[in-house]
Amino acid sequence: MKSQIDQQLFSDRLDDNKRLLLDLMGNSTDFISRDLKLNGYIPIALFYLEGMVDITAVQEGVISSLLDRAQQLGGPINPETIQQHILNMGEVGLELNIATALDHLLSGSLLLLLEGHCEAVVVHLPGWEDRAISESSTQSVVRGPQNSFNETLRTNTTLVRRRVKDIRVRLKTIQIGKLTKTDVAIMYVDGVADPKLVDDLIRRLEHADYKNILEGEYIEELLLEKKQQTIFPVVYNTDRPDTIAAGMLEAKIAIFIDGTPFVLLVPSLFVDFIQSAEDYYQSYFYSNLIRLLRYTALIICMMGPAIYIALTTYHQDMLPTQLLLSLAAQREGVPFPAFFEALLMEITFEILREAGIRMPRTVGQAVSIVGTIVIGQAAVEASIVSAVMVIVVAITAISSFVIPSYGMSIPIRICRFGFMILAASFGFLGLTVGGIILILHLCSLHSFGVPYMSPYAPYNKSKQSDAILRFPIRNHSNKGEQ
Amino acid sequence: MTSTMLNACMRFIALFTAALLMTLTLSGCWNRRELNDMAVAIAIGIDRVDEQYEVTIQTVDPSQMSNNRNVDRFPTRIYSEKASTIFEALRKVTSKSSRKIYLAHLLLLLFNEEMARDGIKEPLDFLFRDHEVRPDFNIAVTRGYQTKDVLSIVTPLEVLSALDLYRSLNVSQKLWAPTAAVNINEMMVMLTNDGVEPILTGLTLIGDLNKGLSADNVKQPRPYLYFKFKGIGVFRKDRLVGWLNEPDSKSFSYVNNHVSSTVGSVQCPGSKKRFAIELVKSKVSREPSIRNGSPHMKLIVHVSGNVGEVQCETEINDKSIIELQELASEQLKSIIENSIQHVQSQYGVDIYGFGANFHQKYPKQWRQWRTNWNEQFAQMSIEVQMDYHLRLIGKIISPFGNNPQQKKE
Repeated sequence: MKSQIDQQLFSDRLDDNKRLLLDLMGNSTDFISRDLKLNGYIPIALFYLEGMVDITAVQEGVISSLLDRAQQLGGPINPETIQQHILNMGEVGLELNIATALDHLLSGSLLLLLEGHCEAVVVHLPGWEDRAISESSTQSVVRGPQNSFNETLRTNTTLVRRRVKDIRVRLKTIQIGKLTKTDVAIMYVDGVADPKLVDDLIRRLEHADYKNILEGEYIEELLLEKKQQTIFPVVYNTDRPDTIAAGMLEAKIAIFIDGTPFVLLVPSLFVDFIQSAEDYYQSYFYSNLIRLLRYTALIICMMGPAIYIALTTYHQDMLPTQLLLSLAAQREGVPFPAFFEALLMEITFEILREAGIRMPRTVGQAVSIVGTIVIGQAAVEASIVSAVMVIVVAITAISSFVIPSYGMSIPIRICRFGFMILAASFGFLGLTVGGIILILHLCSLHSFGVPYMSPYAPYNKSKQSDAILRFPIRNHSNKGEQ
Repeated sequence: MTSTMLNACMRFIALFTAALLMTLTLSGCWNRRELNDMAVAIAIGIDRVDEQYEVTIQTVDPSQMSNNRNVDRFPTRIYSEKASTIFEALRKVTSKSSRKIYLAHLLLLLFNEEMARDGIKEPLDFLFRDHEVRPDFNIAVTRGYQTKDVLSIVTPLEVLSALDLYRSLNVSQKLWAPTAAVNINEMMVMLTNDGVEPILTGLTLIGDLNKGLSADNVKQPRPYLYFKFKGIGVFRKDRLVGWLNEPDSKSFSYVNNHVSSTVGSVQCPGSKKRFAIELVKSKVSREPSIRNGSPHMKLIVHVSGNVGEVQCETEINDKSIIELQELASEQLKSIIENSIQHVQSQYGVDIYGFGANFHQKYPKQWRQWRTNWNEQFAQMSIEVQMDYHLRLIGKIISPFGNNPQQKKE
C-alpha cells in the first residue's frame, strides 16, 4: 500500500484527490477537509490536521485571503497565482507527489487543491501546543542563563542561534525514522568544527535505518563505534542552550532531535561530563575549588564503600588506633561481613533512588520518610548494619549527585559495585588493579575519533587552561581573533 | 551485533581472568578478617620468670569503646602466658580468647627490670621479625613491678590504660623532659649502630597495688595507685646497667634534642628564693674534634626561654633580665656538664651517640676507636658553650609588692 503511493501524483480532479487523501488518512477524525468556492465558482479544498496547524492563521490568513484576494486579482486562478499573489504566508510551496504532500501535512502543513490542477499548494503553518521554555531541570545553576530547551526543534535551534550570532553557524536538517519522520538537525560553526567530522556525521545520519526515533539515545547508539563497548557515555547531552553554544564554539557539533529537550554534543570527552556550565559563570578561584571538590566527590562516589571494606577487612593496620577501635565497637554484633553489609546498604539506596525517580511526585515524601527511617535508624538499631556503614553509604550517595552530568554518574555507580567486589576479595591490591584497568579502558575509548581522555591522555599542553582547573577566561583562547 | 557482543564478552572474561591472576600472584601477604574477629592488642609486657618469658597482652574489648557502653564490663582484657619464646606465648593466648590477637596497633612494649638486665635482644627479635607488627610503638622498663601488674592497673584519663601510658610518655618527653619516648625503630638503630648505646625510660607504680587493680581506683579524684615515668635507663649493648636521676635524665633530653619545652628553676641573685623559666626552644649542636689525638666534643646549646615565675625581690628590668639570663645559663651549663661527667664516670657508655658524630666526621680515626669506643667516651673531654636568651617576662613586669609605682603611693 505504502510503496504504491510513493510515486503516485495528484490527479487534476478535485473529487478524486479528496477521496484518495481521505482514504490514505483512514478517515482520521483530526484530518479536516474544507471545501471553498473561489470567486464563487472555482472549487477548492483545504486539508489539514487539527491541532497540528495554527488554526487562527488558517482562518484569518489563508481562508480570508483566498476569498478576498482572488476576487481582487481577477484573471485565471491556478496554484502558481495562489502561491505568488494570494497567500501572504511565509512558506508556501507546490507539490505534485501525494506521499510528499502528506509528509508535509503530517508535520503541520496545510494542503490546498484546485479543481483542474494536479499541483497541491503546501502552506507550512505549524502551530501546536508546546511546553514553555522553563528552567533546566537536570543541570541547574545558581548564576547563569536559566532557560532550557523544550520539545520543539525550531525553538531549540533558535535558543542556540540567539547566543552565537555569526553567519558561519550552519544548520542541517535530516529526517530519520520511517514511521516517526523525526527531524534531526545538526548545528555547527563552519570553519571551527572539523569538516570531516561534519561529513561523517551527516553520512551516518543519512544512512540511519530506523523505524522510529523518539529520543537522543536512539541517535547516540547509532553514533557509537561498533567495536567500542563501554558503560561510559561518549556522547554528551544537555538541555542547556548555553552549554550547547559553548560546545559549538569549541569545535563540537550539536545534534537536535525533534521531540526531546536533550541535545547531543559530539565529540565528547571525559572532562565534559565533570564540568558544569556554572564553572564559567563564577569567579575562577571559586570554580577551581568546586572542581577539586567535584573530583573528590567522584572518587568517593566510585571508591567510598570499597575503601571502607578494604580498610576494615584487610588493612586494619593503616587506621589510627582510636579510629580502629571505634569502628570495631560499631561492628560489634553486626552479623554480616563488611562487604555484604555494604552491598545491602548500597542496593537499598539504589532501590530508594530509583523509586524516587519513577514514582508520582505526590508520594515522594512518603518514600523519603520510609527511606530515612529504614536506612538511617532502624537498620542500625537492629544491629543489621553498623552506623559507620550508613555514614559511608550516605556520603557516597550524596557524592554521586555532585557529578554534574547524570549520564556520568551512572557508570561511576556501576563501577562502585565492581570496586566493592575487588576490595572484598583482594583489599587495596584489588582496588589498585581495578583502578589501573579502569584507566586503561578509559584511555582506549574514542568519541568520534577523538581520544576520550584528552587533553590528559594524550597530553595537550595548550588545552590545560581548561582541563583539571579553569584558568581565568582572559588566558583561554578567547581573544577576539577571527 | 551479536558477534561484537560476544567479542566484548570474551574480552571482558579475558580481562577479568588477567586481573584475577595478577591479584593472586602479585599479592604479598593478604588476609581477610573482619573487625569483630580480632582482638586488638595495644600493649605487651614481657617478664622474665623462671627462665621463661611471661607475656602479658592488653587487648581491647571493642564493645566497650562505643558511646553507649555497658559499665559492668571493663574495656581492656589482660591475657598472660608463659613459654620459652614470645611467639609461642602469644599463640597460647588463643586458648583463652575467642579472637586472634592482632598486633599491628601495639602502642607500648614493657620489660620488667630483670628482663632488661638480662638482655632485651632476644625478646625483641620476634617483634622486629613479625610482619604484622608496625614498628612505631614505645618501649619502657618497669621499675620494681612486673609488667603484668603495670598493665593491669586502672588508669583515670583514658579508658585504655596502655593508651594512657603511651600518651603520658610522649607528652612528658615533650613538656617535662626527664623521660625518653623510645620507639622500636629507634631501639633497633641504637642496638645496631656503632657509637651509640640504647636507653629506655623507666616506669613505676606508686600506691597500693591491690586496690589499684580494680575499677575503684578511678572512682575517686586521688587514685590508690598511679603510674609514673621515672628516669632513663642506661644500657650497655642490650643489657640495662643503671638509671639516671632526674637532672641527668633531663640533661640527656637536652643533649639529644628531645626537648620541645620544659620548665626549670634557678636560684635568684642574692637570695635563696628561685625563679622559674619556661624553655620554648632548645637545640644542641655538636662539634666533634680531635685534640692531641683523642676525641673532644664541643656542645653548643641554643636555648630561648621565657620568665614564668619570679620569687626574687629584685625588680625586673633590662639589667636584671641579663643577670637572670646569666644565672640560668650557668645553671643549665653545669647541669649538662655534670650529667655527662656522671654518665662517663659511672657507666662509661655513650648513650648520647657522640660516637656516631665522630664516625661521620673522622671515619679513619673511628676505625681505631671503634672497638673500645666506650673507654674513649669515658675519657673524652667535653666543652659546653651556651647561647641562652630570655625573651618574654609574661603579663606582669616586677613581682607583686616590688612595683616601684606602688611604693611611691
